[in-house]
Amino acid sequence: MNKFLFGTAIMAMTMAYGIPAADASSPPLGLPPVPIPADNPQTPAKIALGDKLFHDARFSSTGTISCASCHADAKAFTDHLPVAEGIHKLKGTRNTPTIINAAYFHLLFWDGREPSLEAQAKDPMVNPVEMGLKNHEPVLKIVRTDPAYQAMFKQVFGVTGNQVTMKQVLMAIASFERNVVSGDSPFDRYVYGGDKKAMSPAAVAGMSIFQNKGRCVDCHTMNTTYATFTDNRFHNLGIGSNELGTKKMQQLAMAFLASKAHRKEVDTTVLTNKDMSELGRFAVTGQLNDLGAFKTPILRNVAVTGPYMHNGSLKSLMDVVNFYNNGGVVKKGEKATVFQSGGIRPLGLTEKEKKELVAFLEALTSPQYVNDGPKSHIRSAASR
Amino acid sequence: MKASMDRRSFLKGAGTLALGGLIPLNLIEVAFGKDNPQNFTFGYISDSHLTHIKGTQFVRNWDHGLRRAVAELNMMDPKPDFVVYGGDIAQLGKKEEIDHGLEMLSSIRNKIHYVMGEHDYYLDLGKYWESQLGPQWYSFDHKGVHFVVLNSILTYPDWTYKRWPTAQERMHQMARLDNPQGSPFMVGEAQRAWMQQDLAKVSKDTPIVVLSHSPLYKIYKGWNFWTDDAEQVQALLQPFKKVTVIHGHVHQVLYNQIGNISFYAVMSTAWPWPYANTYTQAKSLVPKLTVPMNRADPFHERDATGWTSFDLANGHVDTHYQLWSNTDRTVAFNTRDGKPEDTVYQPEDKRIPPQTQY
Amino acid sequence: MNFKHTRFFLSLTLGLGLGLAGTASAQADEFTNADLEQWQQDFAWTVKKGDRLFHSPLGSNTVSCDQCHPNAADTHPETYPKFQKQLGRVATLGDMINWCIQNPAQGKPMSLDDPRMIALEAYITYERRGVPLAPGKH
Repeated sequence: MNKFLFGTAIMAMTMAYGIPAADASSPPLGLPPVPIPADNPQTPAKIALGDKLFHDARFSSTGTISCASCHADAKAFTDHLPVAEGIHKLKGTRNTPTIINAAYFHLLFWDGREPSLEAQAKDPMVNPVEMGLKNHEPVLKIVRTDPAYQAMFKQVFGVTGNQVTMKQVLMAIASFERNVVSGDSPFDRYVYGGDKKAMSPAAVAGMSIFQNKGRCVDCHTMNTTYATFTDNRFHNLGIGSNELGTKKMQQLAMAFLASKAHRKEVDTTVLTNKDMSELGRFAVTGQLNDLGAFKTPILRNVAVTGPYMHNGSLKSLMDVVNFYNNGGVVKKGEKATVFQSGGIRPLGLTEKEKKELVAFLEALTSPQYVNDGPKSHIRSAASR
Repeated sequence: MKASMDRRSFLKGAGTLALGGLIPLNLIEVAFGKDNPQNFTFGYISDSHLTHIKGTQFVRNWDHGLRRAVAELNMMDPKPDFVVYGGDIAQLGKKEEIDHGLEMLSSIRNKIHYVMGEHDYYLDLGKYWESQLGPQWYSFDHKGVHFVVLNSILTYPDWTYKRWPTAQERMHQMARLDNPQGSPFMVGEAQRAWMQQDLAKVSKDTPIVVLSHSPLYKIYKGWNFWTDDAEQVQALLQPFKKVTVIHGHVHQVLYNQIGNISFYAVMSTAWPWPYANTYTQAKSLVPKLTVPMNRADPFHERDATGWTSFDLANGHVDTHYQLWSNTDRTVAFNTRDGKPEDTVYQPEDKRIPPQTQY
Repeated sequence: MNFKHTRFFLSLTLGLGLGLAGTASAQADEFTNADLEQWQQDFAWTVKKGDRLFHSPLGSNTVSCDQCHPNAADTHPETYPKFQKQLGRVATLGDMINWCIQNPAQGKPMSLDDPRMIALEAYITYERRGVPLAPGKH
């Protein structure tokens, strides 16, 4: 199938399924090509199957929670809550990340504990405070016996009955997620599209701050022809760990190592134990460099995916800018732990510069998500 | 864990959890013979260069480094037998700076042996240092190993006593690394005489570990990565079977073998120095053996800094570089080849791009 | 009059003209050894100035460039312009000097044509003389 026909097919799928169109061979403005694993190529039918699985609440112990319960379409694929709430409204410990552009991450979850979208998708299903299943058997039962799924699995993977395995379920979900990519924001049109009217003067000034005084760009990376806004690394900003303090962080780290918690249990431990959650990537690698470190998020659509940080503790973008401006503490003068990243330091931004930086962040919203912010979110006029 | 497993492969197998101290060190002792009294671990913090600006204000960046090293060293489990401070607590030898450093180091839960650095010495020629920390050179024994601590940053008397109008000026001149008006380091006759006497009481089979600030060999004179009487000091150590020199000053991963002596540099908690062979206008003698550390991203202020821990087993030393913002490095003594070797990167085909220095 | 003659008369005129003005010297684009010496001195003076600046605190926290870059080592001036991660764009040596002044030294950036910036660049490149250009090299 040549590129043109393929593109048309994608467009047809968009109309049929309401999926945002994304052609892997020509990524949205401002983004690099979507990384597609060789053993899980994109097809419209697979994306549609993944979409159905993603929205299926039967994959939970109560029958009420699907992936989309937390990664909600109308909320830019988040839930606008500080931390996720699963079955029985059980609270987790971490903020729901958006799946938009998650295809560009090298590792998944805030602590990078899964190496791919395929691997990530299975974990929430069996997490006690998320979808609450004991194992994946209920999922397999449904996809093997539901007639709609039977037909789709046959069509996409050529498998029926017990040949249908979690591997294919996860491949389909990952495929759906890889299709949710978005660029073409006012920032993209200004920088990569050459439209010098696309960003407001405040946002343009904010971009300069982002690359200079704000010290943002070393982690939230930009390149010459595209910007993913993530270095795909893990850093301790001080969120969460500062509140616990250096001494407590030392104790938690040593207790964790002593308990010899295994990789399998990390998913449960960090989402059910608020203190342990603050270990961040340390719980995955045991490396002191990773103590309290969390993954650099992709800043695209950040204006509509609040609240912010791994524990959802910062409500607005101005709160975030203030946090960084103060040198990685919520209130000026508070102490950070010794494990805070060496990249964090007071910035000395003026009030005007802070507002301009916020205006720039607001210019990173793709057109299709502009209305998906939290109800309490007030977009500053400067970003338009 | 087989008792016969050689140390290097154990460390390789420990993988990402080989944090020098955070791996359960009792495993090493089980592997290499609990009944061998000479196996132990010591921690090493060095080159903090705390810089007083005014009042109670110090340079943030260097303060953070020392604080972090202290906190991490305190997490070693089991505790190391003791800790060494490798010199240059202060930047300009000021009482404020030395006190600031000692205050931070006071939370270390071990005995600390101090080594003098030039930034500690040249303001008052060691007067305040000695009042707080004792003699500038001394020796001690631990579990069958003889430790010799030297003040290797002395220099010619003329430069020290006559050349500069004020103590501050002298300190400023010594503080500048690439100073054309600098003067080379040395251990000096008096100390060498003392060392000869001290070593006379030690059997040739006793493992020796020398702790100095400057490297006791010659790398690049222009930056005082140098000890003028290195050969004479090495000669005093030549009769002993197992000798290790641990030094600071160079703020980089550096290791070498000269005859019977293994040399290891420790990390700085403050900032990295370039490798001397990256200065293209002069010749230098950076040991070919060293696999360099990763080049730093100066945005991350803790990059290319850290602290160091040492395992001493069977008279030789294995070095664990605790590198912030980087994968840790272990340089272990290869008993078959008789020299230090990085446990991962020593073969040419295992090198990674950030190790390219130019 | 053929070309040869034209040239002769022109140079004669010019020669006489200049003679009449009281100075005997080369043409505008013929620089002399004396010129070269003079310009080398101008440059060397600027390198010396850059050397002084490089070894003094350029920011607010006493940190000077030579603390990480003795003899300007590890500055790699021959690799510019290149993609500079800290700036998120392809940048010049001057851009990076400003980054260092603002960040490790906590100071204020200079304009790229500031005489002090030019002096710094002169010193840094002089300490790297002879190294082949390698633009873009990381």
